[in-house]
Amino acid sequence: MNDPYSVLGISPGASEEEIKKAYRDLVRKYHPDNYHNNPLADLAQEKMKEINEAYDSITKGQASGNGTRHSTNSGGYANAQGGSAEFYQIRMAINTGNLAQAEQLLNAAQNRNAEWNFLMGSLFYRKGWLDEARRYYQMAVSMDPGNAEYRQALNYMNQGGQAYRPTGYPASGGCDMCDVCTAMICADVCCNCF
Amino acid sequence: MYGYIRPVKGELKVRQFEQFKSCYCSLCHTLEREYGVFARFILNYDYTFLAMLLWQDKGEPSYEFKRCIASPVKKKCSCAVTPPLQLCAGHSVILAWWKLKDTITDENIFRSIPSWIGLLFLRKAYHKARNKHPNFDLKVRTNLCELHEIESSGIVSLDGAADKFALILCASAEDVTNDTKTRALEQLLYHTGRLIYILDAYDDLEEDRAAGRYNPIVVRFSMKEKLSESDREALKTTLDHSQNLISAAFELLPENTWSEILRNIIYLGIPDTCARVLNGTWKKPQKKAPN
Repeated sequence: MNDPYSVLGISPGASEEEIKKAYRDLVRKYHPDNYHNNPLADLAQEKMKEINEAYDSITKGQASGNGTRHSTNSGGYANAQGGSAEFYQIRMAINTGNLAQAEQLLNAAQNRNAEWNFLMGSLFYRKGWLDEARRYYQMAVSMDPGNAEYRQALNYMNQGGQAYRPTGYPASGGCDMCDVCTAMICADVCCNCF
Repeated sequence: MYGYIRPVKGELKVRQFEQFKSCYCSLCHTLEREYGVFARFILNYDYTFLAMLLWQDKGEPSYEFKRCIASPVKKKCSCAVTPPLQLCAGHSVILAWWKLKDTITDENIFRSIPSWIGLLFLRKAYHKARNKHPNFDLKVRTNLCELHEIESSGIVSLDGAADKFALILCASAEDVTNDTKTRALEQLLYHTGRLIYILDAYDDLEEDRAAGRYNPIVVRFSMKEKLSESDREALKTTLDHSQNLISAAFELLPENTWSEILRNIIYLGIPDTCARVLNGTWKKPQKKAPN
């Protein structure tokens, strides 16, 4: 394992608070939710594993603290447990990144039902064809409105995905913690609320 | 000068802005030194961004002070030339050449005269760049050819068209030998290329529709007079999604000399550009108050 302090980006003399803050910041960055259905999810998972090992190594022997160690399981995408046996092989191909095989199997499939549309959406998402992915997910949901997996995929596309943002880089038009704190300070000064 | 992928200047520290300019200047000097004085005119922010992404070192680069045609009296700071800058110079010459050829195919004889003149000036530079980067040249030629076929066939797929341009930008990561870095870079560059293609198409929407030229957005949304609000929202969402995939890939790259400037570009610059292109203020010079 690499030097645990350099993995967490802290100096060897860092305090417990600094270690926890560095760990939390890195978990926020590489959290599986930020790599949902992402072809690079396995790389993020490896990073999380490295971060958890570094954190464990540094805090070994200390009190368990807030128990903030995070799981390294990546979020479900084209979940192998869901779906029919008919399309199982295609799901596995997509999940393992074998997109050429998945595309071949999907094009050969006769049954173009809701699951077929969902898997086409998943394939296109992995290829980076986001607009096509959304259209196929939309078709899957319209053919099978009760299916939570398809609905979740469509909702994810409609929200434009999700990603980490570093502190101090707010989403355009949004507010970050600086704005929240500033607003609270102003409210306190103006009306003695706190 | 040109390019959609740029930092938000007001959010850079003065030191970072000076560093960014030094990289931009260095790309310009590299273009001139390796490909001649006319190659400087293809300098753009997008390839400066790429050079910073491909940078290997973490430490401060060495700097030189030079005069140039844009600053003949006062010497300007430029960082020392490195392999990523040389690669970006070569790749940008090749891409510019094939884009000029593409314009000639699409336009009538009078409107293509500036492109013919461009080809004349870039001919020697292109042949030199092609000898240095034959794989990239083949990738550009093949993908632009396939893009042209998609455009002529009237295929209604925004992604299908964007994919060809995205693959061209992706090809710049091919010389990177670290597997993790290559995969992350390829995703980052793919979605950057996709974003640039869609932004460029949106920027040219009115002109293309008026001239009857192919525009992938017009075709995809069956646009008549104007793009509806729901279609613009769909475009915004898909661009946001590409931005998110760009940032997810970026965080998997090792830190380098330019990481903080790259963060500004990815988390602030790209969203700012997308917002301005979509609200129509990109092409109009804006007087911006410092807030």
